[in-house]
Amino acid sequence: MNAAIATQMFAADFLKLRKKRSTLIWAFVLAVLPVVVFFAVGAIQHASSPAGHGPAGGSDHFHTGLRLLGGLFFGPLVAILIGVEAGTGDVSAGVFRDLVVTGRSRISLFASRVPAALVVCWSVILCGYVLVLLGTFVFAAGLSTPSAALVLNALAFLLLATGVLCVVAVGFSSLVGSKPAAIIALIAWQIVASPLIASIDSLGSARDGVLSQALSHFSPLSLDDGGRHGTILTMSGGTAALVVLVWLALFLGLGAWRTSTMDA
Amino acid sequence: MSAPSIDVPATSDEGPAIQTSGLTKRFGERTALDGIDLHVPRGCAFGFLGPNGAGKTTIIRTLLGLTHASAGSMRLLGHPVPLERAQALQRVGAIVEEPRFHMYLTGRENLSLIAAVRGPEARALIEPALARVGLADRAGQKVKSYSMGMRQRLGVARCLLADPQLLILDEPTNGLDPGGIQEFREMIRAMVEQEGRTVFISSHLLDEVEKTCDAAAIVDRGKIVTQGAIADLAAGGEARNELILAVDDPQLALTTLQGSEHVAEAQASADGLRVVLSGSAETAAAVNAALVRAGVGVMRLEPVRHSLEQRFLEITARLDSPTAAEEQSA
Repeated sequence: MNAAIATQMFAADFLKLRKKRSTLIWAFVLAVLPVVVFFAVGAIQHASSPAGHGPAGGSDHFHTGLRLLGGLFFGPLVAILIGVEAGTGDVSAGVFRDLVVTGRSRISLFASRVPAALVVCWSVILCGYVLVLLGTFVFAAGLSTPSAALVLNALAFLLLATGVLCVVAVGFSSLVGSKPAAIIALIAWQIVASPLIASIDSLGSARDGVLSQALSHFSPLSLDDGGRHGTILTMSGGTAALVVLVWLALFLGLGAWRTSTMDA
Repeated sequence: MSAPSIDVPATSDEGPAIQTSGLTKRFGERTALDGIDLHVPRGCAFGFLGPNGAGKTTIIRTLLGLTHASAGSMRLLGHPVPLERAQALQRVGAIVEEPRFHMYLTGRENLSLIAAVRGPEARALIEPALARVGLADRAGQKVKSYSMGMRQRLGVARCLLADPQLLILDEPTNGLDPGGIQEFREMIRAMVEQEGRTVFISSHLLDEVEKTCDAAAIVDRGKIVTQGAIADLAAGGEARNELILAVDDPQLALTTLQGSEHVAEAQASADGLRVVLSGSAETAAAVNAALVRAGVGVMRLEPVRHSLEQRFLEITARLDSPTAAEEQSA
């Protein structure tokens, strides 16, 4: 397959995701609404009682905004929604068989889903991050604001964390083949099972294998919020990178295998 | 069973459009295709006829690589499949079961998705394909607003992006109104006669196959029961030209006919004299002239039209008989 066809296939998968309004609306709501609410509430509180509530922006609020998008519920949920849509869209619409009968290899059909999902996911996350930055700087008043290096590092972390989860979602949903089942399983893993496993001390270093724990290692700011949303483990950079690579390889491999062997 | 030769206009000398040998597909204990030997010549409309559940869709899915064969070999446009599947499918367009689309995209966008996978040259065929099926004006609307007939036509347009030498259509007239069926039939014939494509149509509608196709195979319970040109199939073997005659003196007519070189067989029947011609249908005139010369008054001379439906029902009834069941189990 040459570069021109690969580019066309990427553009086709991007078109499918870009035009899937229901998924995109939910993704934008999840990426944008919590950030808007967080800064709006902070600004209103500060305006109504400047003595009781500090300004809504500044470094501390940037940190919280980063946790909202990257560490907690909303960023990962965006990645899961878009990844699952990319992984199951053709099969659930019944179009996969029409793609197969073109003679194009099934592996390339699977592979073209990944960059398309990443571009859409990152576009949505970027919107949320821009709002975090706006809130951080517009409402900072006299508070300190994050440095340019921190802003860029935080952006890189967000793209890494949501990107990895999005790719895992593409692979897992291609393996499962069912959109609802994949979404439920991934959300349950990310929101319920992962923090639960990380909090079980008796599991020891086996907990390093949890993806969200490995990704947290790359955050420029601690994602620990005092244990309210689970424990954040410490591990070496090499271990974290290895865990992320194993998750990517495992689910990309399983997704590609299922796509190439399933009855279409 | 051996595949008989079928007299159809050939577009190339590269072998049949579809050829299978001993093709078998099992789903666990159940055998869906049982040693299928199929021969579809190029440049014809070929019907694949059978009752629901006979294995029609399974063979299409197997040919296209949507599911794996359990045994046997197959060739599409001369390429062994699955060994050279990609090359074979480059010039194959197919609709399997009903055509499905991303409903939230427009007709044109849906075609662009397939064109992207097929390659740059397919992109240039989008507008001609839409025009060919009469959807150019509606191509900018979302597919969810299309009628079933429009979706069928969009499915054909999607096939045309391959500039196909072979079109495989699974129950293509399902959901079409009579006008749509007529349009569809004309489109298929034009593809065969004017563009030299091969069209393989699976259907359980005998009338549809008889009116659209040049040749057909009848499949039942995963086996090819018979295959050949439509006229041959309907006649129950080699094509036969038969006449029914009403005459004023049947005995004299029979004597005259039995001595004629143009008559292979003549006998009295309830609806008149039944005559099998030894040559083409045009020899009916010579038969009439011979009778008139012998002094026989001919009141009616009518060609017998063999119906594929009649033949199909004969075959399936025979398969349903206790003797056939015993033979199969043996």
